[in-house]
Order: sequence, then structure tokens, then C-alpha cells
Amino acid sequence: MSENRKLQMNSASGVSRRTTLKGLGAAAGLIAAPGFVRYGQAQSSEPIRIGFQCHRTGIGAAYGRWYERTTTAAAKRINDAGGINGRPLEIVIEDDGTDPKRGAEVVEKFANQHKVDLVYGTLFSHVVVGSAPAAGELKIPYYVVSEGYHVASGKLNRYCVQPGITDVKAQARSMAPWIADNLGKKVTLVYPDYAFGHDHRDFFTPAIEAQGGQVVAKVPIPPTETSFTRYFPQIPSETEVIYHVMVGPAVLTFVKEMGEFFGNSGPKLFGFIDSLEAVDIKSPGLEFLEGSHFWEGMPRYAQPDQADYVTAYREAVGIDENGASTQDAKDVSTAAHMFGCWETLNIIKAAMEACDYKGTDDRAAMIEATEAMTDMEAGADHPQGKKRFNGKTHQVFGEQSISQVVDGKLKVVHRTSIEDGAYEPEADYTAMSF
Amino acid sequence: MTGRIARCGAAAFAACALAASGGPAWAHASDRGHVLLLPTHYYLFGGMLAVALSFLILVFLPGEGLGRLAGRRIRLVRLPFDGRAGVSFLSFLCLAGLVLAGLLGSRDPLSNPLPLVIWTLMWVGLTLAQGVLGNLWAWLNPWYGIWRLLLRAGLPESGWLRLPEGLGMGPAVVLLFAFAWFELVYPAPDDPARLALAVAAYWLFSMIGMALFGYPAWSRRVEFLSVFFGMVARLSPFEAVRRGQGSVVLYAGLPGHKLRGSAALPVSGVAFLLLALSSVSFDGFMRTFFWLDLIGVNPLEFPGRSALVGANTAGLFGMFLLLCGAFLGCVRLGEVLAGGTPVRNAPGMLVWSIVPIALAYHFSHYLVVFLINGQYALAALSDPLVRGWDLFGTAGLYVQAGVALGAQSAWIIWNAQAFAIIGAHVLAVIIAHLIAHHLFGSARRASLSQVPLAILMIAYTVFGLWLLSAPTAG
Repeated sequence: MSENRKLQMNSASGVSRRTTLKGLGAAAGLIAAPGFVRYGQAQSSEPIRIGFQCHRTGIGAAYGRWYERTTTAAAKRINDAGGINGRPLEIVIEDDGTDPKRGAEVVEKFANQHKVDLVYGTLFSHVVVGSAPAAGELKIPYYVVSEGYHVASGKLNRYCVQPGITDVKAQARSMAPWIADNLGKKVTLVYPDYAFGHDHRDFFTPAIEAQGGQVVAKVPIPPTETSFTRYFPQIPSETEVIYHVMVGPAVLTFVKEMGEFFGNSGPKLFGFIDSLEAVDIKSPGLEFLEGSHFWEGMPRYAQPDQADYVTAYREAVGIDENGASTQDAKDVSTAAHMFGCWETLNIIKAAMEACDYKGTDDRAAMIEATEAMTDMEAGADHPQGKKRFNGKTHQVFGEQSISQVVDGKLKVVHRTSIEDGAYEPEADYTAMSF
Repeated sequence: MTGRIARCGAAAFAACALAASGGPAWAHASDRGHVLLLPTHYYLFGGMLAVALSFLILVFLPGEGLGRLAGRRIRLVRLPFDGRAGVSFLSFLCLAGLVLAGLLGSRDPLSNPLPLVIWTLMWVGLTLAQGVLGNLWAWLNPWYGIWRLLLRAGLPESGWLRLPEGLGMGPAVVLLFAFAWFELVYPAPDDPARLALAVAAYWLFSMIGMALFGYPAWSRRVEFLSVFFGMVARLSPFEAVRRGQGSVVLYAGLPGHKLRGSAALPVSGVAFLLLALSSVSFDGFMRTFFWLDLIGVNPLEFPGRSALVGANTAGLFGMFLLLCGAFLGCVRLGEVLAGGTPVRNAPGMLVWSIVPIALAYHFSHYLVVFLINGQYALAALSDPLVRGWDLFGTAGLYVQAGVALGAQSAWIIWNAQAFAIIGAHVLAVIIAHLIAHHLFGSARRASLSQVPLAILMIAYTVFGLWLLSAPTAG
């Protein structure tokens, strides 16, 4: 039974595998046989099976949809190029419902029923943290794509790595030098009053102080709040920059009310695109963002000077100039994060090739091979940019984009360096046993 | 293995505390964000006004004339055959195929046809079709055909056993609650394998019940889908009347005309209809910031369904009790206001007016799911076992999530939802009024009896619109 519980991915352009199947069938003039996978050069060996812990349902479903499309595109590219060690890549999807308890069950299922080589692709932090103990206990590599600080904090275990996307601590820190040099040194933080907002507060404050700036006020907003006008008077008049990281359904209301409050005379704005990921910047209510700046993990909008490998990545995943689906202009992608799936799969490939991965007995060797990684050059495998992996903290560091809203689109105005976000290791997973 | 899952679960639970200081848990800006910017409070006020005005107009309209109008129907066509058994048997074969796909197909609930057919095409699509087209379920249910085969093999038509009269529709109420709990509270209702087992077990349980107690009794009092779909179909303008052996005559009238003439429901039947409405209401309510705040959950850090099983079970039951209390209280108060001779089983008659509201809630709450997952269903049905088939030419369908995304879609969807909610409440007021005329005799007594119920309808209109415009998570 479980042998058939697999999603064999070889689809094109990051859309559904079904689209691809149809396309492939037509191209080859064949009806796909049971199993239907054509692996290009990699057709003779047993596939490498990757368990994709996907947020198909629950609160993360909108992200899950794009993580799945990116994963599909990346897997196809790897297979078209001959697979991993000559073996085809096969992705097995299980839905975790964006639920930590189910996440742990899914990891267990991957290990014991599907017998995959590793688990990959989790986004939401609470699911990562909920699933990590199961991965450690079952001794199965767990490659997450979550941008959480939980991996680098040392609180997980040796099987958990985050090599394809930077963490929030590095992201927040890396913004400070540019903000201090270009927008102003007196910053007021507006953030939701819980862990996500607290992380930004705690990571950004020392970083801006190190640049000679200061946080002149902190305005925590209760998570259930949906009207914000009464909080704006707490922003001191000396404020030069508002650093905002609001999330949730009331973000649009937040921006609209901020615009009504400040009009044309307010401080400069700096935000994290997490607030508006997958939301059209030209949506009504967001007009006030024109001219403001955002962190982006990877640019949503096609940039005039982007490298060829970025163009190729965007085409493969299936996003247009505006970062929306090429087949559905209203379906805006989660561009600032989903590249992490693409890069993580390529790192998995590199690690498996480095340790000459043969099967599940080599899982520890695969982790060691990942830990041994250092610099990764920007290119087709790493379209978001250059990265440096820290084997001790199992966390990658990288360049970030700072973009300005110009005519309702995000235009990259600065790329931070890896050093801007780097921080001293606070854990050493390599000292832990397998 | 169970032990390990339990350990992993405990680890997951413990780890939630760690997550709180670990990093971001994003709350998607979501399309409710666009709705929050719409002037929804005008709709709430307008809806309230529309329902109140409808009631006032009815007070001054002659009830008899309206009753006559509602009673009119025209004969459409006579079908020379009754194909229920054949269609039902085919439906059984399809269900068996779907269960097989649930066990053997993709583990992805958006690629496996079983969860998509059960939750999207059946629970959402078929319910709406029943309300518009009539009792398709009488043909499509997967038991009738097999039961007819069993009759041929010698099974007595009314089975061997009798359901105790005192049970009424009680078993159907319990099963509907179990179903609603599985859909709304259970952590993994979409998991193809678990759903396949649940569907197979329920099919078998019902088939045995139908064999032992007879199809008619079981489908009217125990099999909750037949009870629910049958009730919803009474709103449809179409009516199929069996004329002798093997022929069916199709009539058409005004929407809801069948409700007026429906027999009074027993207490358990009243409970069933109110549970149907309250469960869909709770589906909306449990996602609101209001509810999450009430149970101490940060809506921006939604912990997943597993953490909310206890609270949501209590909420689902609580909303049912609250609606029962409000409805029965209003009917009783109406009887007191109307005075005169007490009426026999007024709640059992008046509860039929809830049907249009239940249907409108269904439409409004599941519209977005239907638009998106309906597309996934089309794709999955073409390739149910993920073997590269393209049975209906839809396997390559690109799911257009954009139909429900962005400010423009939010505006269209919100208006459709608001129109359905308000329209259904106006219809409910009319139906309740007609039933009251029939029950209380005089126009004065009927109008007086309806004042509390009309107030409840107005309140539920506002509640319904608020549910669809309030900030939500999960």
C-alpha cells in the first residue's frame, strides 16, 4: 500500500505535476506507464525519496501551495540533469495541517511507512519545533525552510538543518546598517506583541545601536487588535524611521490607518515583506506604502538587471514579472521565502553527492557532509544569492534585498552583505552525537 | 508505533513552548484583510433593516393570498422510469473507487479525490444542488441500490427489527454531531487514509442498519446525510412525486413551497436542523479572533487544530445549545404573545423556516473552498491514483487560486455571501409567517407569534454577516 503512496514529481514550470504529465506525455508521444516518471538520464536506479512535509491545509496553506510549486520545479530540474548520484529524485507529500502535533506524526510516517531518505520543506516555526524531536528520535535528516531562529538557537538536534534560507535574527540585523545610513538613526518599532514581534524587537534593537542609532520608542500592538489609530500617537515626533512588522488579516487596515494618520509628513517607513507576502502591493489601502522600503528575501518583482539564472529560476517556478503565477495573475507568490525550497533541494543534492549517499545508513554522513559546507556561490543552484553555511549552528547566512515601493512595485535598491547579518555561533550541533 | 506517536505528540506539545521564543509563526495577511477594508457595517445595518422590513410588510399582507401563491406548482414532466436503484448502485461503485483511491492514491489531500469529493463536491456542492434542484441524494446515495438487490435476494422490506419510536431522529442527531466534529474539530479530516476508513466504516454501518431495520426507517431517522439532504431539498422549487410503479412526475413551484406543507418535526428533528445550522455557524465562529481570544489563543500564532480539540468540541456543542435555547425560547414566547388556545408542536413546524438560512450559511461559508478545491477535485478525479491518467481531460488543470484572491475577488465574494445571508433570512421570515398563519389561524395571532422569531432572524442575519466580515485565523 505505502509503495503507491507517493507523489512522483517530474513536472515542468512549477505548476501542478499533472500539467507536466500531460505535457510530457504529449512531447514523448506516449501515455505514461504506471509510475509514469521519466527521469531523463537518471532512469535506471532506485529513486532517492524525499518526504515533503507540506502545509497543504490549515493556516499555512497559501504558503504551502507555492512551496509545493517551487519544490516541483526544483525536483524536475534536478531530475532532468541526471538526478542525485545518478538516481532520480522522488518527492512524497504529506500534509501536516500546519499543526505541530500532526507534523510529528508526519515525520514518523515518513520514516516508518514511506521509508524516505530524509524529510524536508517545513515552513511554519511551530511545526518545525514540534516535528524536530521526532526527527531526532527517528534519526532522520530534517531540512527545514522556515527562516526561524530555532535552528541556530541550538534548541533542536543534530538532524535538523536550515541550509537554504536565512534566519530572522540575521535578517533583522542585516537591515540596521542600511537603515541607519539611509533612512535615519532614530527608530520607532511597531510590532505585534508576541514572539514574532519580540524577535524583531530583540534582534534589531542591538543592531541599530551598533550603528550609532537608537530605538526611540517601542509600540507593541495586541495580536487581536484590528484598529490601530490610537497607537500612532505613541510614536514620538523625533522618530525618523518606523520599523513595522505587523502580520495577520488587519495589516491592510494598519497601513491604511497609518497613511490617514501621517498623511505626507510622517517618518520614513521600513517593513518586512512577511507582512504582505502573497498580497498584491497595488491593493486598495496600501497606497501609503509608495516610497517606503521593505526587506525581501528574494525580489518578488523581476528586476531589470537580474542575472540569467534568476530569470531561469522564475520561469521554472512559473512566476511573471510581478511575482504572480504566469497562469493566474491574481495568485501572487510567496517569492521572498519559497526560493528556500529550490536552494535546499540543491544543497541536499550536493550533500548526498559529497558523501556518496547510498541509502538510509548514510543519513549521519549526509548531515556531516552538510555541516562541512561553507561558501555557496550565487548561481542556478542558489538564485537568491551568495550564502555561507555555519556547520556548528546548522544555519545558513546570506545576502538580503532592500526594496523600495515605486509605482506599486518593489524595486531593489540595496543588497546587504553576508557580514551585515552574521552573528557569533550560539550553539554547536557538531558536538552532539547522532 | 502508537507509543511512538504518543511520544512524538508529547514532544510536539512541549515544543510549542519553545516555538514561542523560537522564531516567526506567520499569520498570512489573507483575503479577509481586503474584507476588513470594505464598509461591511453598512451591510450589517442594511441586512438588519431588510429582514425587519420584510416582517413588517408580512404583517400587513393578507396571509391567505400569499399562502395560495406559495402553494401553486406546475407540472413539468413525467419520467417513465424510476432509475434510483441503478443510479444508487453506480454511486456505490464510485464510492468504493474513491475509498480505494483514499487508501492507495496520493497522500496529498489536494491530489487525492476522496477528501475533495467528500468535503467539497458532496458536503458543499451536493448540499447546494439539493437546495436548488431537489432530492438528488435519493438517487445518488450509495445504499439504496444495494438494498434493492438485497430485497431481491429475500430481505424483508422493513428488515427484521424495529427502531424504538421514542428515539425519533435522535440517532441522526448524534451522527450529525459526530460528522460535524470530525469535519471541524478532528485534527486531520482531510487525511485520505483516515477519511477512507471513516467513510468505509460509516457505509458499512449504515448498510447493516438498513438491512436490519429497513431502508425507509433507517434513512429517515438514522442516516444523517439522507435526513439532512432530504430537509435541504425541501427548499428546492422542484418536487418529484412518484406515481405508481416506476414513474415519477416532476413539478415546480416557488422556492420553499414544499416547506409550508411539511409535517411537523419531532423534538429530535428540530434539534437536527438546528444542529445543522449551528455547526456551520461554528465553522465560521471558531476562526474569528473573538473566539480565539476567548479561549486564550493568539490568532496570529494559530497553534493548529490539535491544540484546540477540547475548546472547539465545547464550542461546537455550546453553539448548538445556544441556538436551540434561542429558537425554542422565541417560539414559546411567540405562543404566549399570540395567546388563545395553545398550538400543538409549534417548534416542529416553525423550524422548517431554518432551512433557507442553513443553506445560505452553507453557501456563504464554503464558497471560497468550493471555488478552489472544486478545481483540485476536477484534476484529482482525472487521475485518482496518481498514475498519470487523464480520464476526463482535466488532469492537467492549473488550479486558479486567484478566483478567490485580491481586493476585487474579496468584494465580489463578500457581496455574494451577504446577498445569500440576507435573502435567506427574508425567505425564512416569509416561510415562518406562512407556517404561523396555518398554525394560529388568525392574522393577528400569527403576526404576534412571529415577533420574537423575527427578532431572532434579525439577530442571526447580523451574526451571519459579522462572521463573514470579522478578522479570522485558522
